[in-house]
Amino acid sequence: MTTRLALLLSLGFGALLPAQGERHWSYEPITRPAPPPAANAAWGGGAIDRFALARMRAHGLEPSAPASPAMWLRRVTLDLTGLPPTPEALAAFSQDRGAGARARVVDRLMQADAFAERWATWWLDLARYADSQGYEKDALRMTMWRYRDWVIDAFRRDLPFDQFTIEQLAGDLLPGATLEQQLATAFHRQTMNNTEGGTDDEEFRVAAVVDRVDTTMQVWMGSTLGCAQCHDHKYDPFSQKEFFQLFAFFDQTADADRNNDEPRMRAPTEANRAAAAALELQLDDARAALEGVEDQLPEASDWHLLGPVPGGDFADARDRAFAPERDGAQLDQEQEGLRWQARPGFVDGKIHNWSGANSAFYLHRTLRAAVACEVTLSLGSDDAIAAWCNGEEVLRKNVAHGAQLDQERVVVKLHPGDNDLLLKVTNGGGPGGFAFELWGPSEGGLRQALRRIERELAQSQGPLVPVLRELPVDKRRVTRVHIRGSFLDQGDEVQPATPAVWPKLPATGRRDRLGFARWLMSPENPLTARVLANRIWSELFGRGIVPTLEDFGSQGDRPSHPGLLDWLAREFVDSGWSMRHLLRTVVLSATYSQTSAQTARHRELDPNNVWFARGPAFRLTGEQLRDQALAVSGLLSDQVGGPSVMPPQPGGVWRQLYSGARWTDATGDDRYRRALYTFWRRTSPHPAMMVFDAQSREACVLRRQRTNTPLQALVLWNDPQFHEPAKALGAAAMERGRADAAVGAAWLWRRCLLREPSRAERDRLVALLAQEQQLGAAELDAWGVVASVVMCLDEFVSRR
Amino acid sequence: MSIFDPISRRRFLEGAGVSVGAAALHGLPRDGVDKPRPGFAPRAKSVIYLHMEGAPPTLDMFDRKPTLDRYDGKKCPDEFLEKERFAFIKGHPKLLGHQHGWIRAQNGIEMCELFPHLAQQMGDVTLIRSMYTDQFNHAPAEHLLFSGAPRPGRPSMGAWLSYGLGAESRDLPDFVVMVSGGMPSAGKALWSAGFLPSVHQGVEFRSAGEPVLYLQNPAGYDRARRRRSLDALNDLNRIHEQRAGDPETTTRIAQGELAFRMQASVPEAVDLRSEPQEVHDLYGTTPGQASLANNCLLARRLVERGVRFVHLFDSGWDIHGTGPNDDLMTQFPKQAGRLDRPLAGLITDLRRRGMLDDTLVVWGGEFGRTPMNEARNGSKFLGRDHHPHCFGLLMAGGGVKRGAVIGATDELGHGITENPIHVHDLQATILHLCGIDHEELTYKFQGRPFRLTDVFGKVRKELLA
Repeated sequence: MTTRLALLLSLGFGALLPAQGERHWSYEPITRPAPPPAANAAWGGGAIDRFALARMRAHGLEPSAPASPAMWLRRVTLDLTGLPPTPEALAAFSQDRGAGARARVVDRLMQADAFAERWATWWLDLARYADSQGYEKDALRMTMWRYRDWVIDAFRRDLPFDQFTIEQLAGDLLPGATLEQQLATAFHRQTMNNTEGGTDDEEFRVAAVVDRVDTTMQVWMGSTLGCAQCHDHKYDPFSQKEFFQLFAFFDQTADADRNNDEPRMRAPTEANRAAAAALELQLDDARAALEGVEDQLPEASDWHLLGPVPGGDFADARDRAFAPERDGAQLDQEQEGLRWQARPGFVDGKIHNWSGANSAFYLHRTLRAAVACEVTLSLGSDDAIAAWCNGEEVLRKNVAHGAQLDQERVVVKLHPGDNDLLLKVTNGGGPGGFAFELWGPSEGGLRQALRRIERELAQSQGPLVPVLRELPVDKRRVTRVHIRGSFLDQGDEVQPATPAVWPKLPATGRRDRLGFARWLMSPENPLTARVLANRIWSELFGRGIVPTLEDFGSQGDRPSHPGLLDWLAREFVDSGWSMRHLLRTVVLSATYSQTSAQTARHRELDPNNVWFARGPAFRLTGEQLRDQALAVSGLLSDQVGGPSVMPPQPGGVWRQLYSGARWTDATGDDRYRRALYTFWRRTSPHPAMMVFDAQSREACVLRRQRTNTPLQALVLWNDPQFHEPAKALGAAAMERGRADAAVGAAWLWRRCLLREPSRAERDRLVALLAQEQQLGAAELDAWGVVASVVMCLDEFVSRR
Repeated sequence: MSIFDPISRRRFLEGAGVSVGAAALHGLPRDGVDKPRPGFAPRAKSVIYLHMEGAPPTLDMFDRKPTLDRYDGKKCPDEFLEKERFAFIKGHPKLLGHQHGWIRAQNGIEMCELFPHLAQQMGDVTLIRSMYTDQFNHAPAEHLLFSGAPRPGRPSMGAWLSYGLGAESRDLPDFVVMVSGGMPSAGKALWSAGFLPSVHQGVEFRSAGEPVLYLQNPAGYDRARRRRSLDALNDLNRIHEQRAGDPETTTRIAQGELAFRMQASVPEAVDLRSEPQEVHDLYGTTPGQASLANNCLLARRLVERGVRFVHLFDSGWDIHGTGPNDDLMTQFPKQAGRLDRPLAGLITDLRRRGMLDDTLVVWGGEFGRTPMNEARNGSKFLGRDHHPHCFGLLMAGGGVKRGAVIGATDELGHGITENPIHVHDLQATILHLCGIDHEELTYKFQGRPFRLTDVFGKVRKELLA
């Protein structure tokens, strides 16, 4: 420490550092400070409230009145589940007069799948979760949802946060790691992957590892080490060497910016496993049935191959009749300047590959039948295929795909004696290949069933998910400092180690990702518990006790309530890192439960609510806005998990570069799934969410901005994702307002805002309805207009 | 009323932990329409940046090299290949001479014959022959050029200008983007606000369909119905405003009103049918078509209406010579035909309207192209590989010199011999012309202040009039 300080002082940064001997606050051990004495009997007596009250008073403020039951219920329901409560839930809550009514609400909310979904959404920003690789080509990652579902499940299980951390950073290294623990490591496979032509894989592998270091440091340690990649940190005590010592922990995984995201792991879901078990049984039955068949199959010679016979292009190679096709296969002669080669290795029931772009490949074999019979040829090809039996064309298919078993099926008649079978497979680009099987006259149906079962079984092996996998010992990389951050300019070799300013790794422990993850969650680490408690606080209050959630260093803000922060951090650790315990403790505090109404005094003394003398109020996120609209209109699907979906988005937004991947607006339930299931492509995330400050997730999103722009109004008015729910909600209000429009208007108001409208509010809605109808609007349309107004209200789009 | 009012702006800044430097520099809070209050007099009020995605062969456009013609088809001298990393060239490449003829431009320089209209405007243009960059792949080079760093995540040039200058228009966004011929390699990150408040991100005006996403009311809503619902919404929000006492509510009411104005102003601004035929002839525009020409005319209309930064992206310039669609003999003339008249028309139009003095026009690619023929996989088509070491760029109006030529390259057009100008210098100079010191305009994120020019960049005085 001393030498580093001396170095920094000599560089002229001395003024920015604490005086020698006095450490930066966030590097001090976490204590359990005693809360100040309770000073107000009417106010909460819990630790949070005592800490908060002391700071309020110190700044000339008093607590606000408690929020109304409706305000509290809406706030806590949105905070814990991301969805609005129903009027029925409010009625039940209001009728529960017993002690602990609020605690019962909280416990009920935390049991819901919606709770896990809402907190998974929070985590996925930090995990920079996306369904694509990023960079120029931004190819899709169609299986990443399996990791998203892991996160949802972790919150559903209340997986302790230390375990949650260790599994995501190093689940693969745990002794006897389960499939789910290995799957968790997809957290750090959310890094981008560059498949642009001419790029250097090593450069982008290094960029991914740097991203892993940065993300880990910011999410868990509230430390921004990014600048130490190129030079010693200017403000915080981290040297460039220390950056690469951290880098070394993450430098030993097998991934290397490969186009296919290798290494990947099969991660079957519960449903996959159940399906596979059933299919295995069916497979046994089908095989047994086939054994019982006694078809007399013709005797087949070895395959002979002639090729590649190049064409001008794919179509030419496919369509031009080359010699074997014109004159028949003449195995002992040269045809098209090539000789036929015997290929005894081309056994039936397997896929065989070759290379040669825009070329035809001819295959020949003789089938010797004892009697006249009908057989089925089951074929696979890469790409186009044609077939002749005894000179007669029996198949011609222009396809472009990889070869699989049983892609085509042709029934042919064989005569007794030798029959000539000729195939032509034409390859476009990449490898070509074929597969063949001969099915006897009575086994065709059984074979077909067997193939179907096998195919379904292959599909039920589960999605192939990119994961972390440590290199074998003999393949380990040597990590060196990258001079000025350039991977081409390598300096001294470094070993994995944690920065000197923080507690050391245990001398005897492992020095790999697992050792590092355990260090991160060790009781001696002064940061992780503080950083995470602060993040969770910020989700509930719209502002952290340390507002710079990602920077607890000397350039970050100091805590407004240092005692409270440490108390929360200690409480989090002592509860066994239970997220639910921490959330419950905060939302049941009096501080959280105040009304959010602002007074002139608040605006004057504390416009940003630093001292929490009123309840927190802020605009919902884009995801929450959409989910809320679907929920109040009754359209929301409650399906949890599964592949990402494509709700409506304007045409022309989705990038079509390089791939045929399309955005097709979902119909049915998938149109109305919660927003965390919306397909997230990094170069074109859903535009409506972007308008509400979502980011592209090219890097970890540490703190979303909360803006208020005209484009947001346009989305709320005109995006089908909001307009369709408004119509549905309007229709429901119309039903209730048939006899008396005021009744329908009040119902609409209660459904959205959980309170009775004032007379003025109700009358204004009824006036709008009447106005629209006078101007000739159909009743349904007029109600849709009214519902849309309520769904655009500031009170509705905010959580107060 | 600005696009975001003083109250909300203050809140952004407070929430974001903006550096004191930037806030002080621009004297927050502001009242009414945001006016730039820069440290020194701005020369440009607006910027139109035409980015030729893929990187045009500027060597063949305005940097004639007789030596290159003389050694056409000869092996490239070894000294040019030492320590060189190419994107696609393998083995020992051959030099490639110019494939098109030359004409004399208005300012006396030799210019490619495919650009006769632009040649007539060069008297108002500064030609830089000595631009260079660090990146030789499209996406990283575009990120570097427009955000100061080679990877996605930083705010783009337009976002910095929107952040630094604030809005000039009452009815339109500060930063507008239009794309012709396909998306650029680096995608929307090129107009992202990065870690700046999202209000500063570029708003993409689309050339076909709705010009702004979600601008159009749903079926059944006419403008009068929107007005009536907005009136009801405002009345109800005002009741709520009384109760909640939150200035955010006030802002939301104002933003709704701006959205309503944009629903009218944007279609008006982008409606080219109102332009006289003579203007269409000048640019070569056809209303309703998605083209670079239309985007050039739209850019003028937007700047006229107070938009700060109009960023045009045009693709099709990545001329490697791997096939008939990226060949110097066919694709390059095609691209030249799409660019020549619209760009010349834009400069002419701005000049005759008296707008050129305070509108800066910049034209260029993300890097240069090699003096060697790429001949990928033995291709017989002609084209050049990516080349970061030098490229040409044009600037006009907004306080830059007229008719000047800055910098020079060696006899093959491979390296710079005079006045190298890095893309960070270009950024610093553009900000300077807008009245902003690039070292002062910072934003604190992840523990340190960031700026467009990273920790580099120098204002290049030799470009200034």
